[in-house]
Amino acid sequence: MTLFTLSFTLLFVFATMMISYWQKLGLEKEIAIGTIRSAVQLLLIGYVLQYVFQTENYVILVVIICVMIGVASWNAAKRGGGMHGVVWRIAISISVMEVLMMGMLLGLHLIKATPQYIIPLSGMTIGNAMVVAGLFMNQLKREAVSSRGEIEALLSLGASAQQALHQVRKRIVKFSMIPTIDGMKTVGLVQLPGMMTGMIVAGASPVEAVRYQILIVFSFTGSAAITSILLSVLCYKLVFTKDLQVVVFQDS
Amino acid sequence: MFEIKQLAKRPFHMNKTDDKYLLSNISAEVVRGEWISLLGASGQGKSTLLRMFSLLHSPDEGDMLLEGISFRNQHPRFWRKQICYVAQQAVMLTGTVEDNLKVPSQLHQLTYDSQLAKRLLAAAKLSDVDLKKDARELSGGQMQRIALIRSLMLRPTVLLLDEVTSSLDVTNTLAIEELLKDWHRNEGTIMIGITHDLKQAERVSTRTWFLAEGTILEDAPAKQFFISPSTEAASQFIISGQAEVLAT
Ligand SMILES: Nc1ncnc2c1ncn2[C@@H]1O[C@H](COP(=O)(O)OP(=O)(O)OP(=O)(O)O)[C@@H](O)[C@H]1O
Ligand SMILES: [Mg+2]
Repeated sequence: MTLFTLSFTLLFVFATMMISYWQKLGLEKEIAIGTIRSAVQLLLIGYVLQYVFQTENYVILVVIICVMIGVASWNAAKRGGGMHGVVWRIAISISVMEVLMMGMLLGLHLIKATPQYIIPLSGMTIGNAMVVAGLFMNQLKREAVSSRGEIEALLSLGASAQQALHQVRKRIVKFSMIPTIDGMKTVGLVQLPGMMTGMIVAGASPVEAVRYQILIVFSFTGSAAITSILLSVLCYKLVFTKDLQVVVFQDS
Repeated sequence: MFEIKQLAKRPFHMNKTDDKYLLSNISAEVVRGEWISLLGASGQGKSTLLRMFSLLHSPDEGDMLLEGISFRNQHPRFWRKQICYVAQQAVMLTGTVEDNLKVPSQLHQLTYDSQLAKRLLAAAKLSDVDLKKDARELSGGQMQRIALIRSLMLRPTVLLLDEVTSSLDVTNTLAIEELLKDWHRNEGTIMIGITHDLKQAERVSTRTWFLAEGTILEDAPAKQFFISPSTEAASQFIISGQAEVLAT
């Protein structure tokens, strides 16, 4: 596929913008920015990846993964607006998850230790972990408001921060993992995942593509669980003041 | 002994530099065996004061000491275990009625005294309630009594009762009063209770605090307070309270 033929897909974008204009949705600017950003980002990463795959330079590999984790953490942290020190907590959770996942995938020889495997798989699991972390932070904030009575009842009985948040924490971990688990249940039936579709289009056999997709799906579940549980350990104290009271979050 | 020294609290939403107070100049000494009724009009800060005693709000100034130890030198959880607040709005925790009663023993790694629980349930006219029932399906009045018993299971030194009979009928209110009187006699627990029922205050307490103008305006033995209050505000409060009873 040449860049010229690829550019025809812009027709879809123009169509969307026309609809937006016609229906006064006011999305034209957003769509334009989104189009340019996704095109530039993807083309850029394409060239970077090509370079990295050719040179097999592991320093660049590590840098790329760090950037991924950084962007993902920063993005997910926005969901926990009003809480302090969220970014590094998310970054730690995702980093530990990444090390564990890659350690397992490489240790069990499920994938080859080349950038060609490591980068796409890392990108997908980190992306999924980002969604999980965002949901977690958002829900933590909401629970601090909606379960205030429950948490205070426990505090009144002399509970520690950990004890007072035990049930709430379980609920949040569960909540943050629901999309991942639902995705696992319907994968292949409702939507063909992007990676698998891509491999098939590029000429791999469907069975081969499916094998990798299964690997991805299982990695997602593992990464979601690890990220969410680590976050719950690192973040539960954020909803308490130093005098062990429930923090009041101002609506931003 | 529970000592309160010049305790003050600023309003909830404001900058720290403003010199107004929600509550200020709160000082008192309470000894074992006392039962204080905290009276005052709605919105005066009665709940806030009790919540501050159990550190659910932090005092901005002043000090509190229990048996000579300041709250500042103790972890809030141990302070709250001794000075236990029973909320105006009863909240049931996840699980059955029995799970709720077991919470205090679980939190502090103590053995669950099922005999005591049984005795208290009977005294609160709750013997019929199925212990295996989901606590969140109880009626408001049942929840309120379970929440009270749950706090008693902790055997605190000071019990802070925020309108604990507000959603009960007369019979159950009297039953709870008897239960608390018994407990008070046997355990010597210091009781500080908010009530809007002046008759109840007369029946149970040994001492009254009248909260107005952001402070304990009057601190007097219960008998004396109801017969001859020393401030105009307090006598107005008592008269309007009696008028309310006559009207209903
Ligand atoms: N968490 C809070 N945030 C903001 N303001 C609060 C909070 N709790 C109480 N207040 C305010 O503090 C004041 C005192 O409230 P408090 O609940 O202590 O009154 P009260 O004397 O217990 O009244 P009532 O008899 O109606 O229960 C009220 O003006 C109330 O609006
Ligand atoms: Mg109140």
